[in-house]
Amino acid sequence: MDMLAAFGSGLSQALSLEVFPYLLVGSLFGLIIGVIPGLSGHFAMAMAIPFLYSMEPNAGIAFLLGAHATVAQGGGITAILFSTPGTGQNAATLLDGPPMRDKGLAGQAVGAALMSCFMGATFGAVSLALLLPVLQKVVLWFGPPEIVVLAFLALTFVAVLGKEDMNRSLIAGFLGLFLSMVGLDNVTNQERFTFDMLQLTDGLALVPVIMGLFAVSEITDLWAKGGSLTGNQVKPLSARETQKQIFEGIGLALKHWWLVIRCSFIGTVMGLIPGLGSAPAAFVAYGHAKQTSKTKETFGQGNIEGVIGPEAANDAVEGGALASTIAFGIPGSSSMAILLSGLFILGMETGPRMVSEHADIVFIMIFTIVIGNFIGTVVGSFLVNPLSRCTFLRSSILVPVLIAIVFTGSYAVNREVFDILIVIVFGLIGYLMKTLNYSRAAMLIGFVLGHAIEKNLYLSIKLSGNFFFLEPIPLVLSAITLIFLIYNLWPQKSVPTAPAQKKEA
Amino acid sequence: MKANKNKTLTFASCIALLMAFFLGSNAQAETEDAAAFYKGKNIRWIVPYDPGGGYDEYARLIAPYFAKYTGARIRLDNKPGAGGMRGVNELFASPDDGLTVGIINGSAMVTNQLVGIQGAKYKIEEFKFLGRIVADRRVLAASIKDGFASFEDMIDAKDEFKIGATGLGGSTYVDAVVIGEVFKLRQNLIHGFDSSSVIRQSMLRGDVAAMWGSAGSAADSVDDGLNKVILQSGKQRSPDLADVPTVMEMMDRVNASAQDRDLVRAWQGLNDVGRPVASPPGTPDYKLAFLREAFKNAMNDPEFLKICADTGRDISFATGEEMNTIASDAAVMPDAVKEFFIGAIKGEL
Repeated sequence: MDMLAAFGSGLSQALSLEVFPYLLVGSLFGLIIGVIPGLSGHFAMAMAIPFLYSMEPNAGIAFLLGAHATVAQGGGITAILFSTPGTGQNAATLLDGPPMRDKGLAGQAVGAALMSCFMGATFGAVSLALLLPVLQKVVLWFGPPEIVVLAFLALTFVAVLGKEDMNRSLIAGFLGLFLSMVGLDNVTNQERFTFDMLQLTDGLALVPVIMGLFAVSEITDLWAKGGSLTGNQVKPLSARETQKQIFEGIGLALKHWWLVIRCSFIGTVMGLIPGLGSAPAAFVAYGHAKQTSKTKETFGQGNIEGVIGPEAANDAVEGGALASTIAFGIPGSSSMAILLSGLFILGMETGPRMVSEHADIVFIMIFTIVIGNFIGTVVGSFLVNPLSRCTFLRSSILVPVLIAIVFTGSYAVNREVFDILIVIVFGLIGYLMKTLNYSRAAMLIGFVLGHAIEKNLYLSIKLSGNFFFLEPIPLVLSAITLIFLIYNLWPQKSVPTAPAQKKEA
Repeated sequence: MKANKNKTLTFASCIALLMAFFLGSNAQAETEDAAAFYKGKNIRWIVPYDPGGGYDEYARLIAPYFAKYTGARIRLDNKPGAGGMRGVNELFASPDDGLTVGIINGSAMVTNQLVGIQGAKYKIEEFKFLGRIVADRRVLAASIKDGFASFEDMIDAKDEFKIGATGLGGSTYVDAVVIGEVFKLRQNLIHGFDSSSVIRQSMLRGDVAAMWGSAGSAADSVDDGLNKVILQSGKQRSPDLADVPTVMEMMDRVNASAQDRDLVRAWQGLNDVGRPVASPPGTPDYKLAFLREAFKNAMNDPEFLKICADTGRDISFATGEEMNTIASDAAVMPDAVKEFFIGAIKGEL
């Protein structure tokens, strides 16, 4: 089926009466799942699977992907309004989102986040469409040597994030790397730091760690300080004011279109690589936004670019992940694995045959992502007003409710009571880090990337020998990493030494 | 006084009558009770893997039919973790009221127990098996462009080639070690890949030349002439893999030694455990009998069989009683062979 015909067919099918209602329901479902802290895309897909048995293939795909597309948008709303990342991908939005809320600009932040998500998702989907003819070749470029160097490059963004206090950031980053090693290592078949607990055999679960580090610590801080989330210096915004801000936010995202495109590109590329997950992409994009901003000093205190960057990236990741999933039927992440089985249930085969014989289905997927995100943006912007009223509530009401939701969301991931313990422990760690000015973002980057780096380093050496980084793509990426590190770590006399009280990233 | 005595007597004889009635009728009522017991109840079905995996798919395929023949509602409960052990541990510790069943990775659980892995809080022989859904068929897929169009090519290979495997001591690893030993293959076994999908991608890139896996996962992957299955386990060729020789056939070809044959026989015994469905130890016999009957009917339901054929899902039913034998036989092997397996699983080979 040639591309143009597939394009047209895909579009008309996505908008047809048999498919569109499912798209709509799926998107709304995903948005709500995203708003609830702890529930992620993986969860949304797993919940959607049983419904697929009674659906037609086109409708089923629209439902599945629609749900998956909007989760990050919902998560962004919660991250900004409640300092609680709805999903792992939204952790980076915590760096500048809540500070904007504290300045009374919550509406602007959410509007910008939603719009960036939509633009990022579109970029990712369009990239997928353009890559279709060469999809297989591109996906095969990325093997262990490429992945380890790319993951290492992402890790060096710790240097950018923690420029103000390099020592503390490095400590946090390495601590994160260390924590990623907890669990059964399948190379040596040795249990590392599991203390003979079966619950730790698979390592520390990502969602409870993020919930603890970022959500519980913020909630604890709120409880300790008292007052409301926005602090007492800002007057509650009226509904009209919030709505106006949302439109301003949307406008700002459009104004920074070049930043959006660059961060979307980062997201798509990192999405292509299986095993990295979506959280790193958001942090790398944040680092890049900070790096290239004309107002870098205000990052961490409510700079809108710090919201636009990560949100664009974490939605663009989907396009990349989908590309590698359908190119070979090799899932890039756990939610993609569920998507694959969903496709299987619907009777579809993935792989080269899908692209050549069922290109219209691929286009339905692409349009689902774009349209789903659009629905998410529109509905999301109306959700904001009622939700933002809650940020002006007293902490004595908000804290118990948020804690209950966070605990439930974290438990729901694996139905494992032990995960709640992880949330509590990391909540304490996160609170300590926040108080002592250690970068939690740096720790998270280390934690998320540790496994990918260690595993792929081992495989690279085994498969390509000790000088694996001399192959073309790894060589280029290594050069970029070196330049990047030198640029950031070179002592610059022009930058005034920041006082120790500067807010931690 | 006399009236009191009469009252007590009447009362006591009523009690005695009631007791006789209930105790005496128990045995016969049990079999009818089972069907009545299960009607409208909720049965929890534990799946020790994430949704979307092979085990989950088999469970989802058969659950409606199991529901039909038990009269109960089936609730699938995914409990992934620790390579399937978390779910199995939980099944083992579940209440024995007959309302919990689970699908287990039989071969892996037997080998875990063999090696005495820490964290195994179950005893495979104490499970009450309902039956087996499918035996594990292991296949070797190789890359044609690396020169392996058939298994003989691999035996005759002049240079060392790389085989990819997932975890040290995992099934894909042990498969490669066993077969590599029996056929003296010039293989360099690279383990440590996160999943079979990653190894497949590696194969497409040309980093590794071959990989072991289950027939189901090989069937899902579309390799379009780049890779093909060159060897399969089992005593007979599977209808879907009619052109592919079995390990047994190849052993005759190379005149394998008696010890090598023992090794392969033990390997095959482990594969035969496959994917059974079981309920916790202590499940009352009458409920177990009912569940076994329902499972058998579900597995033989023509509609179910058609769906399996259509979706390409292999089935090899075995009854609960047969499973008891299969499971206990799987752990029985000559000492030398057992040592070899334990060494392979521990990664010492």
